[in-house]
Amino acid sequence: MAGNNRSKTKFLRKRRTLNSMLSVDFRRMFTTPFFYIMLGIAVVMPVLILVMTTMMDGSVSVDPSTGVETVIEGFDSVWQIIGTASGESSSAAMDITSMCNINLAYFMSAVLSCLFVSADFKSGYAKNLFAVRPNKMDYIISKTVVCVFAGIWILLGFFAGAMLGGAVAGLPFALETASMFGVILCMLAKIFLLLVFVPIFVLMSAVAKDRTWLSLLLSLFGGMLLYMMVPMMTPLNSTLLHVLMCMAGGALFFAGFTIASSTVLRKTDLV
Amino acid sequence: MNAIEINGLTKRFGSKTAVCGLTMTVPEGAIYGFIGENGSGKSTTEKMICGLLIPNGGSIRLYGRDYKDETIRANVGVLIESPGCFPNISVWNNMMLQAANLGMKNPEEKIGRVLKIVRMEGAASNKYKNCSLGMKQRIGIAMALLGHPKLLVLDEPINGLDADGMRLMREILTDLTKTQGCTVLISSHILGELEKIATHYGIIRGGKMIKEMTAAQLEADCRTYIALRAGDMAKTKMLLSGRYLQVKEENEELRVYDAAAPEEIVTWLYGQGILVSEIRTAKVGLEEYYIDLMGEKEGR
Repeated sequence: MAGNNRSKTKFLRKRRTLNSMLSVDFRRMFTTPFFYIMLGIAVVMPVLILVMTTMMDGSVSVDPSTGVETVIEGFDSVWQIIGTASGESSSAAMDITSMCNINLAYFMSAVLSCLFVSADFKSGYAKNLFAVRPNKMDYIISKTVVCVFAGIWILLGFFAGAMLGGAVAGLPFALETASMFGVILCMLAKIFLLLVFVPIFVLMSAVAKDRTWLSLLLSLFGGMLLYMMVPMMTPLNSTLLHVLMCMAGGALFFAGFTIASSTVLRKTDLV
Repeated sequence: MNAIEINGLTKRFGSKTAVCGLTMTVPEGAIYGFIGENGSGKSTTEKMICGLLIPNGGSIRLYGRDYKDETIRANVGVLIESPGCFPNISVWNNMMLQAANLGMKNPEEKIGRVLKIVRMEGAASNKYKNCSLGMKQRIGIAMALLGHPKLLVLDEPINGLDADGMRLMREILTDLTKTQGCTVLISSHILGELEKIATHYGIIRGGKMIKEMTAAQLEADCRTYIALRAGDMAKTKMLLSGRYLQVKEENEELRVYDAAAPEEIVTWLYGQGILVSEIRTAKVGLEEYYIDLMGEKEGR
């Protein structure tokens, strides 16, 4: 009975410390100017991409050394920047429409996560924190959750920017190969995929600590390895299966990388 | 009970051993002056006590418990090198973040109180990056005090403080130990200041503790000397050096160690045709004691 009460008290204390850490990190993330700068970029970027590619659509560029002509193809519809329906070839192609799309938000999320975590070590805040709070798991969970939420805002910002850019560029909004429900599921799957990417970024930041350049380098490299699978995992006509797969992958990565990150912090010097 | 007990503590950075089998005991309620040269291992030891560096060997116990114990660590206040604050937010908001880390509910009153203790209440709305070095040190102290700590670990806290700031720091630390039973581990190169407040000392060199003592033991260990000024200092020094074992010239005065009495020196010098203009008996301070000790260890 006493042991039961002790473990209950320990659990409650742990939950309280995690809650306070989350509140600090949420407050920090959503008051830092950098988050709003990234959000601004996430909104403006698709507008620029859609408007500029529409302006350049059909123009021909010639390679002066080989003389090979390349016809620049713009986006056919607004939804193409959000995703392509499964079966369409562009998911594997390396053209502008498959590279410059909403999946860039994962890279923006990498930059934000790395800067957010390394700021703790650079400012000495981590020193203050770990001197009184030895639990590294809470720290990693808190950082991951907050960075995932920030990533969601960036994804939604990019989505909003895409709609705005589509309207400015005069691209069609008609859904041909997918339904609106499919688009919603596609966005949901992309959100759950953040749970795959962000724990990787947090792990890299935990390894690099105050060396922001290293955390960025490692995160962008680690992210690049998985970047190619995003269009396949989250097609425009996503089904519940896609969402469930992304959710399961996210849960797996979140658990695995949280343990790995907290082990890194536990086993290495913090300053 | 001892606030800190360290046994055989070792820390290596690659092939360099920063702390080597260090043993140290800080009694509860003490102000422990931790002294050593640059690179002697003071900061490394303090960082290990705070759980910021992982020791390669040895043990650290805080109030009888392992230093990793969460409940005991919540009672530690820390100022290592500089305060860990975000430069672009206000002093108050930095304090709020630390209060949240400590799990404090409604911390406004407590923050106001600690800022008042360090006389920073007027600068609470200033951005941290706009504060002077002395102000930053005070903020660091306020942060360390926020959780009502039983143990304060301070690394060079008086660096960059003006005379008034140093006096304030002395008052704060003395008050904390007297009224709240707080234990303070403080490292500093300003030995004159440390001497005014420390109740215990630990002298570290090359990562090893070479001496631990109380302030009373230091007092007993410190030799007395006779300081004098005379018209012809060079001749006086030469004469005294021939008669006494150790004569030093410092601060435009001659110091004669192991001399019997001032009268004896005055009379003898008068016999040699030298008039003494000023003479007094004094005691070696912590700084000289430390320099002498370091010289002994080096075989100087």
